[in-house]
Amino acid sequence: MAQLFTPAATTAFRVAIVLLGVGIVAAGATAYVWARADSTWKVGKPAPQPVPFRHDLHSGSLKIDCRYCHSTVERAADAGMPSAQTCMSCHSQVWVGASVLDPVRTSFTLGQPLEWTSVHRLPDYAYFHHAAHVTKGVACETCHGRVDQMPRTVKAQTLSMGWCLDCHRDPVPKLRPREAVFTMGYEAHGGDLPDDIREFYREASRRLTSCNTCHR
Amino acid sequence: MSEDAPFDLDALAARLAAEDGPRLWRSLEELADRPELRRLMEAEFPDVFEASSVDRRTLLRLMSASLALGGLAACNGGDAGSHAPLLSQSRNMPGYTPGVPVTIATSLPLNGFGRGVLVKSQEGRPIKIEGNPLHPASLGATDVFAQAEILSLYDPDRSDTPLQDGSPRRWEELTRFIRPVRNELVVGEGRGLHILMAPTSSPTLHRLISYTRELFPHAQWHVFTPIDDDARRAAVLDGFGRDLDFVYDLTQADTIVTLGGDLFAEEPGHLRYAADYQKRRRMRDRELPRLFAIETRPSLVGARADERIVLRPRDVDAFVRGLAASLEAGVAPAPDVHPSVPRLAELLRRAGPRCLVVAGREMPSEVHALALAINTRLGAFGTTIRAIEPVRPIIDGAQTLHDLAKAIEADQVSHLLVLGGNPAYTAPADLDLPSLIRRVPHSLHLGQHRDETASVCRWHVPETHPLESWGDLRAFDGTVGLRQPATMPLKPALSAEEFLGLMAGQTVDGQGLVQATWREVWGEGFEARWARSLEDGVVDGSALPSIDIAWRSDWRPEPAAPVSSGGIDVVFAPDPSVWDGSYANNGWLQELPKPLTKQVWGNAALIAPETADIFGISSGDAIDLTVEGRVIRAPVWVMPGHAPAAVTLTLGYGRQQAGRIGNQIGFDAYAVRPSRRPWIATGEIKVAGQRIPLISTQHHHALQGRDIIRVVAPGQDTPQDSDDRPSLYPEWPYEEHAWGMAIDLDACIGCNACVIACQAENNIAVVGPEEVAKGREMHWLRVDRYHSGEPADPSTYFQPVPCMHCEKAPCEVVCPVNATVHSSEGLNDMVYNRCIGTRTCSNNCPYKVRRFNFLDYQGTDYTPSADAMNPQVTVRDRGVMEKCTYCVQRIGAARAGARVEDRRLRDGEVMTACQQACPTQAIVFGDVNDPDSAVSRLKKDRRSYALLGDLNTQPRTTYLARIEIPAEEG
Repeated sequence: MAQLFTPAATTAFRVAIVLLGVGIVAAGATAYVWARADSTWKVGKPAPQPVPFRHDLHSGSLKIDCRYCHSTVERAADAGMPSAQTCMSCHSQVWVGASVLDPVRTSFTLGQPLEWTSVHRLPDYAYFHHAAHVTKGVACETCHGRVDQMPRTVKAQTLSMGWCLDCHRDPVPKLRPREAVFTMGYEAHGGDLPDDIREFYREASRRLTSCNTCHR
Repeated sequence: MSEDAPFDLDALAARLAAEDGPRLWRSLEELADRPELRRLMEAEFPDVFEASSVDRRTLLRLMSASLALGGLAACNGGDAGSHAPLLSQSRNMPGYTPGVPVTIATSLPLNGFGRGVLVKSQEGRPIKIEGNPLHPASLGATDVFAQAEILSLYDPDRSDTPLQDGSPRRWEELTRFIRPVRNELVVGEGRGLHILMAPTSSPTLHRLISYTRELFPHAQWHVFTPIDDDARRAAVLDGFGRDLDFVYDLTQADTIVTLGGDLFAEEPGHLRYAADYQKRRRMRDRELPRLFAIETRPSLVGARADERIVLRPRDVDAFVRGLAASLEAGVAPAPDVHPSVPRLAELLRRAGPRCLVVAGREMPSEVHALALAINTRLGAFGTTIRAIEPVRPIIDGAQTLHDLAKAIEADQVSHLLVLGGNPAYTAPADLDLPSLIRRVPHSLHLGQHRDETASVCRWHVPETHPLESWGDLRAFDGTVGLRQPATMPLKPALSAEEFLGLMAGQTVDGQGLVQATWREVWGEGFEARWARSLEDGVVDGSALPSIDIAWRSDWRPEPAAPVSSGGIDVVFAPDPSVWDGSYANNGWLQELPKPLTKQVWGNAALIAPETADIFGISSGDAIDLTVEGRVIRAPVWVMPGHAPAAVTLTLGYGRQQAGRIGNQIGFDAYAVRPSRRPWIATGEIKVAGQRIPLISTQHHHALQGRDIIRVVAPGQDTPQDSDDRPSLYPEWPYEEHAWGMAIDLDACIGCNACVIACQAENNIAVVGPEEVAKGREMHWLRVDRYHSGEPADPSTYFQPVPCMHCEKAPCEVVCPVNATVHSSEGLNDMVYNRCIGTRTCSNNCPYKVRRFNFLDYQGTDYTPSADAMNPQVTVRDRGVMEKCTYCVQRIGAARAGARVEDRRLRDGEVMTACQQACPTQAIVFGDVNDPDSAVSRLKKDRRSYALLGDLNTQPRTTYLARIEIPAEEG
């Protein structure tokens, strides 16, 4: 009986096996890289907004404190979005006729909320509490980056669970003294933390990595 | 299952006699040890067990299909909700932080009385109801009906447009109709106008009623509620010569005797009475109080009583007569008196003014009169009972529903206004109210639903839910609670106040109407008092003062009517789940296992085991019950402890137009309710030879083991488990908190408030009758009910069972994907995103507290509006195991609050939902790492024990044994 497979077929088959193996590894590697890539997490990608608000202008040049607009950040889970009334406290005086501010004026006049597109939204099953973080020395900049240099608001970090856990496993190097929480471009990470906070977090690391710290 | 076969009571008795110790049983089937039932109870997943005839090939096919489709399921966008916009408010709202719920104090009505509640409102959407600690009828606790009002508020079947002869009409059309009719009536001074409403305690409604009466002096008012207190009122009028209400103080009582009814579930002050009774039991400097329940149908108060005396309704009269007679000095007890009477009389005499005799509303007025006479004679007035002005004042000249029926028959009614309620359904059948209402030329119904009454009235006007309108209500002791809206009206509607305001030619602004009432009362300083009353939820000092009253000295009990021997007594009772039927469209309440039968999604005719034996029937067999010529077919439920030759029918089922949830469930007991004797009638039973399947959860999640319920004598210890039990698993370190719970079985009255509170707090799905029948109900917290002793008169025990949060949790070690893990504070966390649904954890859980979402229970017809969901708790998906989390969201919220304020958590700061709802503080939650916390102290109590402690699971939830006075001491 003649050979069923020619030597060439055998070679082709061997190549196919190797290619398949390489393919699987490549697919795995691609998935691995893709899952960790900033673009997957939309880092640096701005979203369409009703008003071209510029953090670099308000926070950077004008040096308006974060809490002037995000007023509940120190006492509630949500940092709070400024109301149209808050915007109008200045914009009834400056940029009065600017058409880009029309949505704000409409909202203020009609009593309708203004709809922004969130760039930092976490999944529904993750429960983040702003106040619990900022009152314990986690700075705005740590998660949101140099907002004072952003012409359009974008994500600076992936905000993936792995990224959260990097800090929750050992928060101390990322913490700041309370007075530096709202500072942008702060340098001396960790060095001037009070000892009791360091001690507290050394003990709390097990609690900070418990599932129910963020998921309920 | 062979439930068809009736029980051999003698065999059961022999079996019990052969036991050498107390034995707990859940049902007569279990007591009879039916092999089918044993097999079912031993199966971990009874539904799978019954459907397990799948061959290997089919199984492999199903598995491969699941695998392939499982991959597909992962393809849908996993980031649901992440596209929701981020909103900027238009204006700053002082006192309101977006995302932080607001608490609003208000009052909710039940049968015209108010219960003070605090409503948690998230972004203007009420999501949870708690009791108001400042309100005397609540003291911070709630009942099942108050908890379930959230679901009623979001009921999609609530009416939202006016109807004329069943067709939707615009509101302008309604106004166009009402205006000329009203003018016509004003000219005619209200001749031909009849107004039907339920009794109410609302001062504003009564003020508006008197205005309306001035405008329409010839209008006739009729007052009707299916849950009436007419017999008590008749007795009070007879004995005291005036109308009165009574407030009991159970903290003062040493001996309490209840005659029917349910002091802990059906009286207007039931939450307070349960709380006070437990407070009295906890008084260490005084002997335990004695509670005796003389009853036909087992009740919560009977289950809690030291002794139940099971009597047919027709025998209660003789019993109380005997009791009253033996309290008279020098009267020898009659020879035919009930054997318990002398002992009871002795205990009552010993208690003196610290006695209390309460007759339930179904009792005839002679029994009420005798009870009041005993209270008077022993001097209880002023100690355990005080009289106040009627909380629900009688409208001058108001007539009954009978009078309305007669007036319609005589064609005297040209205009009929039905203000709230559903009389076409709740009226006794012999009045034939629906066809009478149809005869009225102009009829208008104000109601929340397009119900039975709406369909027989010419016009139907949507009524607001109590959570979205203004009003005021008096509690059982007269304390006024203002009712303020916790949300904008979800649907356009009018409240009864607003409708009467419209009729009386006043404003249609509910707030203005209520304010006007209180401006009149308070005069100067109105603004400040109004603001404070709204904030507190109660009007300070508004409780009605005690009145000095004298029992008519020449009062003598009417000579006893001869006890008839024929027939069988038919007792009507409000249903523990749907009350008078007004909660029939509420999925939470329909799926709530009734305290004693554990029946869900329906009602049954309760009969005694002895009666079942005589007729040769068992639970689920249908009977034809004839009362005064009317017949209904009803399935029976064999209720251990029920009086023989009597049958109990609970009201509120068999609705035809309740809505998508409540239609065609159970049978309608109103259909045989006689109008002359609405509570206790005489009837005949005939076996129908048909089976009507009943759904009960009593065998679901059954525990197998000994010592499940422990009972101790006063001052006695329960055997303590030794602390040093060896385990192969390492100890967990706890640096900060370690959460734990203690449940006092001595305090639990089985009222189910915790179950509904848990459901509301944790977004627990309603699965529907078919799924419950398969044992797939999702309640994270169940209340197990056990009996012990003779089926004719057993003791009854309740045991709430949440997740035990075991220290050595059997579920944690078997999960293949680490989806259930131990937290740093001892909680047994369930990680929904990791769960792949193997159900191994549930299989390994000895307490059977894990619930598996077999189908997509949050996407069914039973699923409430998303607005009713608690945003702090994940809504679980299909294929995921879930269970009690110790309300971890509340722990998290309290901890975040403490962090922000830079302090430690205080003991008692974290309250679980079940704990907060409990009227008797049976559940205590806290930090067991703190030796001074309330829960730590209870765990050190000599009554503390772990459920199935010999398994060495070291549960965090422990129990305190129930205290019972041994029978021989009595």
